Amino acid sequence: MLSYTLKRLLAGVITVWFIATATFIAMHQVPGDPLMNDKAVSAEIRKNLEKKYGLDKPVTQQYFIFMGNMLTGDFGISFTQQNRKVNDIIRDHFPVSATLGIMAIFFATMGGILWGALTAVYRNRWPDILIMFLVILGISVPSFVFAALGQLLLVNINSFFGRSIIPVAGWGTLSHMIMPSLVLGLGTMALLTRLMRSSMLEVVSEDYIRTARAKGLSPLRIFYRHQLRNAILPVITVLGPQIAAITTGGFVVELVFAIPGLGRYFVQAVQQLDYTVIMGTTVFYGAFLVLMVIIVDILYGFIDPRVRLK
Amino acid sequence: MTADAYSPSEDDFQFVELEQQVEQISRPSLSYWQDAWIRLKKNTRALISLYIIIGLAFFTLAGPFLWTADPALQDLNQISQMPSFPKQALLVAPYERWQGVVIEDFPAVPDDYLDIIPAPKNLRLSSKATTQRVRLVWDPMHGAGGYGVYRNQHQPESINDLGLPLGTTLAGNEVSYEDRLNLEARDYYYSIVPTDGFDESDTYTTLKVLPVLTITLEEARGRGLTDNGDRVTGDKIRLEFHPFGTDYLGRDMLARLMQGARVSLFIGIVAPLLYVLFGIAYGGCAGYFGGKVDVFLMRFADFVVALPFLLFIILFKIGFGIGPGESGIMPMLIALVLLAWPATARLVRGQVLQIREQGFIEAARLLGAKNHYLILRHIIPNTMGVILVTLTFAVPAAIFTEAFLSFIGMGVAPPTPSWGSMCNEGVKTMLSHPHELIFPALFISITVLAFNLLGDGLTEALDSKMRSKE
Amino acid sequence: MTQPILEVQDLSVEFATYGGNVKAVRGVSFSVNRGETLAIVGESGCGKSVSVQAIMGLIPIPPGKITGGTAKLNGKNILGLDAREANKFRGVEIGMIFQDPMTSLNPTMSIGDQISETLMVHRNVSRKEAFKRAVELLEKTHISEAAKRARQYPFEFSGGMLQRAMIAQSLACSPSLLIADEPTTALDVTIQAQILELMSELQRTEHMSIILITHDLAVVAKMADQVAVMYAGQVVEKGSVDEIFYHSAHPYTLGLKDAMPSNRDDRSKKLTPIDGNPPDLFAPPQGCGYFARCPHSMQLCEKHMPDEFVITSDTGHYSRCWLQHNDSPRVKDLFQARYSHAG
Repeated sequence: MLSYTLKRLLAGVITVWFIATATFIAMHQVPGDPLMNDKAVSAEIRKNLEKKYGLDKPVTQQYFIFMGNMLTGDFGISFTQQNRKVNDIIRDHFPVSATLGIMAIFFATMGGILWGALTAVYRNRWPDILIMFLVILGISVPSFVFAALGQLLLVNINSFFGRSIIPVAGWGTLSHMIMPSLVLGLGTMALLTRLMRSSMLEVVSEDYIRTARAKGLSPLRIFYRHQLRNAILPVITVLGPQIAAITTGGFVVELVFAIPGLGRYFVQAVQQLDYTVIMGTTVFYGAFLVLMVIIVDILYGFIDPRVRLK
Repeated sequence: MTADAYSPSEDDFQFVELEQQVEQISRPSLSYWQDAWIRLKKNTRALISLYIIIGLAFFTLAGPFLWTADPALQDLNQISQMPSFPKQALLVAPYERWQGVVIEDFPAVPDDYLDIIPAPKNLRLSSKATTQRVRLVWDPMHGAGGYGVYRNQHQPESINDLGLPLGTTLAGNEVSYEDRLNLEARDYYYSIVPTDGFDESDTYTTLKVLPVLTITLEEARGRGLTDNGDRVTGDKIRLEFHPFGTDYLGRDMLARLMQGARVSLFIGIVAPLLYVLFGIAYGGCAGYFGGKVDVFLMRFADFVVALPFLLFIILFKIGFGIGPGESGIMPMLIALVLLAWPATARLVRGQVLQIREQGFIEAARLLGAKNHYLILRHIIPNTMGVILVTLTFAVPAAIFTEAFLSFIGMGVAPPTPSWGSMCNEGVKTMLSHPHELIFPALFISITVLAFNLLGDGLTEALDSKMRSKE
Repeated sequence: MTQPILEVQDLSVEFATYGGNVKAVRGVSFSVNRGETLAIVGESGCGKSVSVQAIMGLIPIPPGKITGGTAKLNGKNILGLDAREANKFRGVEIGMIFQDPMTSLNPTMSIGDQISETLMVHRNVSRKEAFKRAVELLEKTHISEAAKRARQYPFEFSGGMLQRAMIAQSLACSPSLLIADEPTTALDVTIQAQILELMSELQRTEHMSIILITHDLAVVAKMADQVAVMYAGQVVEKGSVDEIFYHSAHPYTLGLKDAMPSNRDDRSKKLTPIDGNPPDLFAPPQGCGYFARCPHSMQLCEKHMPDEFVITSDTGHYSRCWLQHNDSPRVKDLFQARYSHAG
């Protein structure tokens, strides 16, 4: 298990290096010039700025400086917000995105497992049909539509009570967080529900369920001791990629609900061609996601003995 | 089972010669694809989805020939119009300036300060209200140093519910106001609040106004609405028909949805086609050659998978750049293909590895089949089912990605519409004009739904395990 | 003759499928005496597994349906009970082991936990106590280092070991009857012998009865006291193991024997397969199910269901074959010839 973890971590470091390189290459393909934003820059100021950001050096040297800085965890200084460090931007805004993402993952996983188990138990009866219909909707409707509808719902709730019960936008308190994280988790919840349902139905016909019945266990005990645990396993395997989807999918929700998260910051940075911020956030997100996938895989090992002991 | 109470006769004990039974094939022989098609046809949901997709193709390809409205034309008379039947408009002369009403013998500045200035009386229209302009006139009030003008879409309930502040006249004898702000043919409630020159009073008068939909003769001629007939001011004329309404710039929604469909479906279908093809070639190579080639190719694919998808789509897209006048479709297409291929490559590799080990490949090889023959006749046909299913599910994913990017403003560049960018515009006016969001969102959802259900149906129909179950 | 521990009468089971109702079991009767082993033999799909699963209440309903019959455990009917009632005897009075031990144990629970679960549920003992007993049970089934093994998971066991663990689990509450549904089919030949050995040994020490389901006549010869031969959802011949082997009274039993290799035969003797396939149980034949494959089919076999013709009344040996009818021709010659050959 330990050697497995170390191996995964090493592969993760190499992957992050690849992500950083790809980011560097992509950014150096961008036409235009980050310093062109401020229109009238005299040749001298321009030269100074180029020096400040290291743009005067050859590309290979820039690459090594970039990688070197990255190794020390330094992502440089923002182009558009003079003297603001990219590290500070990430530190200020990432916790917001992470909170949103964690809550969304929580909603999605709990909901997915619960609804999935429910549909399997009520197979082909009305709760199953109703939930699966909603699941199909959840998979087919884009997240920004849910975000818009969620906001509309909040507006209506608030106007019904005549005062602001749940804030429609912004960030800060728990009541700010509920609707955005629900909306963000909805697609994943639908996906997990589907997966959980088919997994449950597969497990039901397994031989060891028959054994459990032959042992004289009560249906309830069979359900939670034998069926549920085995059915959850495939759901956990997709959690890693789903965390990735949710964290980056947070952009839209952050935009619609005016949440000061890193995703919104990234979109803004792209619009302003803020080189260092774009590169910094991309590499940071990439590393974060690689780490999440590794963590989920290792966690999976703790739940499935077949993986743990190999 | 109860015993048979039959008492046999002697003849019954004659031995019979049984014909040697030959195994019979009870089912008609069907090819893989025929069989899959028959089972797909039994699946109502998948079949309906297929019809919807065909309908969408028709909407996209033939639609613009049947519905010839220009998606870029701005119908300023009908901005953010809800879906409705064709409207009649009154032909009017071009707008003429109006100097308003100033009562000469009334003080512009109030003579003395009053605690409560009475509400203005006799609020009326100076001429017929049209969507070109609404002209309000009222009687001056003693003590007033000016008047605030408000407009609301419902009867105000209190002084705090007067609606949109339009403006203020700055003299007690200036007793008229002309409203030309985004007028529509609907009820408005204008309220006049007197001020002492600085602060507003607590009193107000409200007038309900229903402007008449109008269009100037010149504009009607210019837009070809007069049917070359002689029309004069005061005539009624039929305006352009917008069955799906118009957007915030007065552009026809139906025409834009059709044009948007071209963009969304183009990306949604061409991008998966390209990257699935690339994935087949890549994964096929890895699986077929195996060994070091396989390890190297798949390790690289693992790296690409690890790239945060949406971030890199955005990065690559800006990396390729959008020049002036370009729609940004191509950069998005390339970015999608560059990032999305590894999933197919992995799948195809797995399939090829599996098939390579199967007996019939060995048998064909022993019969002298060459490599290219094996690939063409055995490996590719046997992976086609899985690939078709992948493709069907890749389409909604690509449509989603396009919509997502366009929604956050990283997709196609305006004025080119796509369903995603239309949603982006629609969400801003969601509260007042929900149809601008609902229609494009509905089109995205229905398309994605149809492809998803078709994919489910195909998975079931092509699954050989299911085949033996019936 | 002692009081049978389990007595099954006229059991019928159907399955609803898209193609119609499959009459998988059509009026099966058998009984097991205390301390004895009943073997149920027959080829795949003849309804032997379905019969015992119906008795245990393991048939999924729907699509399955028990359409008739009784199964009396110590005189009390246990057929068609709901889960709560059935759990009073499942795992307690009757233990059961299955064909494939690899898939019959929960992959995510340790072996010890799975065994102690039975004890905790039925005997109301603490988790710790139950686990201790589980280790003892594993020792009883000759699993070495039982204490360590109990903490391991199914994937860490070999097939034979798993079947031992399954047996240990089924014995947890000292049942008076063990149903073994093809317990050795999925195992290597050498392991098969060990498992059968273990079952015989435990039968002696625990004073159990066993219902052994198999398609392997060698296993029957080794283990059984009584044998029921099933074909197309019916018991076609039933008797003691000697009667079935040396005084076979049904052409199907003879066919099975001819298809079985024996070390007593000389090498030139060929094994004779039974041609054809069992009848379609969507529409079971009106007469004898074996008619189409039987080398001695007669006119009446096609349309008329043969009665259970008693061969030896005091042992209960009977055969469902018209050849046993008094008026039937050549019957003596046929079976006589076979006796000498087999004997």
